[in-house]
Amino acid sequence: MKIRLETIRECLEGSVPGHLATCDVDGTPNITALSQAQYVDGRHLALSYQFFNKTRRNILANPTARLQLTSPLTAAQYRMTLRYLRTETEGPLFETMKAKLAGIASHEGMSGVFRLLGSDVFEVLDIESVPGHPLPPPAQPSRMTALRASAARLAAAQDLESLLGGILDCMETDFDIAHTMVLMADTAGRKLYTLATRGYDRSGIGSEIPMGEGVIGVCARMGTPIRIGHATSEYGYGRALRRSAEEEGMGDRLDTRIPLPGLAEPASQLAVPIQARGRLLGVLYVESPQDSRFTSDDEDALMVVAAQFGMVVQDLETGQELPEEPVPEPGEPLPGCVPGGPLVVRHYAEDDSIFLDGDYLIKGVAGSIFWTLVRDHVTQQRTTFNNRELRLDPRIKLPGLSDNLEARLVLLGRRLVEREACVRMEKTGRGRFRLRVDRALHLEDVPQS
Amino acid sequence: MNPQSFPLAHDALVALLEGGVSVCVATRGRDGLPSLSRALGCKVSRDRRRLSVFLARSQAADVLEDVRTHGAIALVASHPLTHRSYQFKGTDAAVRPLGRGEPARIRAYVETFLRVVEPEGYSPRLIRALFASPPETPEDWVAVTFTPTSAFSQTPGPSAGDPLGDAP
Repeated sequence: MKIRLETIRECLEGSVPGHLATCDVDGTPNITALSQAQYVDGRHLALSYQFFNKTRRNILANPTARLQLTSPLTAAQYRMTLRYLRTETEGPLFETMKAKLAGIASHEGMSGVFRLLGSDVFEVLDIESVPGHPLPPPAQPSRMTALRASAARLAAAQDLESLLGGILDCMETDFDIAHTMVLMADTAGRKLYTLATRGYDRSGIGSEIPMGEGVIGVCARMGTPIRIGHATSEYGYGRALRRSAEEEGMGDRLDTRIPLPGLAEPASQLAVPIQARGRLLGVLYVESPQDSRFTSDDEDALMVVAAQFGMVVQDLETGQELPEEPVPEPGEPLPGCVPGGPLVVRHYAEDDSIFLDGDYLIKGVAGSIFWTLVRDHVTQQRTTFNNRELRLDPRIKLPGLSDNLEARLVLLGRRLVEREACVRMEKTGRGRFRLRVDRALHLEDVPQS
Repeated sequence: MNPQSFPLAHDALVALLEGGVSVCVATRGRDGLPSLSRALGCKVSRDRRRLSVFLARSQAADVLEDVRTHGAIALVASHPLTHRSYQFKGTDAAVRPLGRGEPARIRAYVETFLRVVEPEGYSPRLIRALFASPPETPEDWVAVTFTPTSAFSQTPGPSAGDPLGDAP
């Protein structure tokens, strides 16, 4: 094969429709315009199967087809010889194409018409260049240079906090992406929680997305990147947020929802899974108000960044604590923590939600950690803690060994800062922290009804 | 096909086919392997019985060889914005040189297509490059004419693939 499929992936982005020619058993040719083609690997691509039409009947009877594609960058045309192999109706490839097709359909005014029934996988037997006068390819930013800078940032991280700051810097500075979120998986709760964001009015840390919902949720459920080049409500957040609110079922009590950050109507969305040792840890998500902002090269690069991020997270989680570092004693009290009445910490056992003077802080595992810390502080005057003992503490209902305790601690620490609480967690070394309490605490436990 | 309901009888369809639509043709090559090429527009005959499609020899060598061998052809025309698409098939395709006025028709087609897609963000430079064939002279251009014996709507949706009736 003279031309390699991976070097002409921009032709598969669908901005210039391709054409597929087939022949039936009698040799009658058939030709159709294509709305979607998907790169699978260097020797395979997939076409969307949306209707049982003549093309479909033909490839089932005579699997050889020709495809003509055009580069939206240079107008270069390519003709491929394909052999139909199989149709996938579920799984990562299907979900990736389904999401992308929803974006295309919405952009083309074809929502509800373009519907993916299957992903037809073809082997690419040959690619020829159609003679012509294509434009010179436009200069593209070097993803390799961006990757190298990103790798250095992630490798320098000492702890999860600095790693999160590092990956946000990677996106903003190395990849020139303005809107980023990092979400971690709560596999037992079948949801993802937001741990770090950049580029939004409010951080939204602690907000949640159910598995399988929207671009991020589908990426997490399938463990595959999802990339959409045009705004589509089908994969937006509106529905995800509403559903999670309904599922809380506690609207009559107290509001424990943290609004999800994000652009109201992103044109381009890219979610890549963060995995380590074959396990899903979370999702790296970027978005843009610009159409078709993220290319297949961006998708590749972010997959590499996410893989390295995942390995460092795993390494930090299993790493030993380092010796305690000297940390200056707290000086002036935190702003707003003037001596006075005690801070009322209320804990609802039902979902481990925590309210500080009536304001929602956090729930779930992070809530259970906080409740453990403040109880030990009140009953034993304890101020220093380490991750290892917390991981083993039966009072903290970690969903399983696979759960990332460190991510929960970062979530809790960040929420305390955002709420300007008079209780803070101050790092005293890797895997160690001090609970800083600048107001007396009054604990109220509300048992499960 | 009932000549009374012959699809090229419809003025709206003729206007669409001769306007800024994306046109591509396919033929049957050796061993049942299809050949295909993007076309430089098409033209309906005055009696509305025949369809001519303009091709660049340098880009459509396989298609032209197939046509000379057996004459089976399929043509799809799709409007780039509305996605209205029609496919025509015939078995008597033949290659012929361009007639008088046809080079000008090809040039006008490129400009019409360009005006249709430009609001969608495609630069005129890109579209001109798309239709530029190597010699870039009328000598490279050729016409293939056939009598459509079947026609289908290929507009995406539930009626995609239906034979074209009285109301395209």
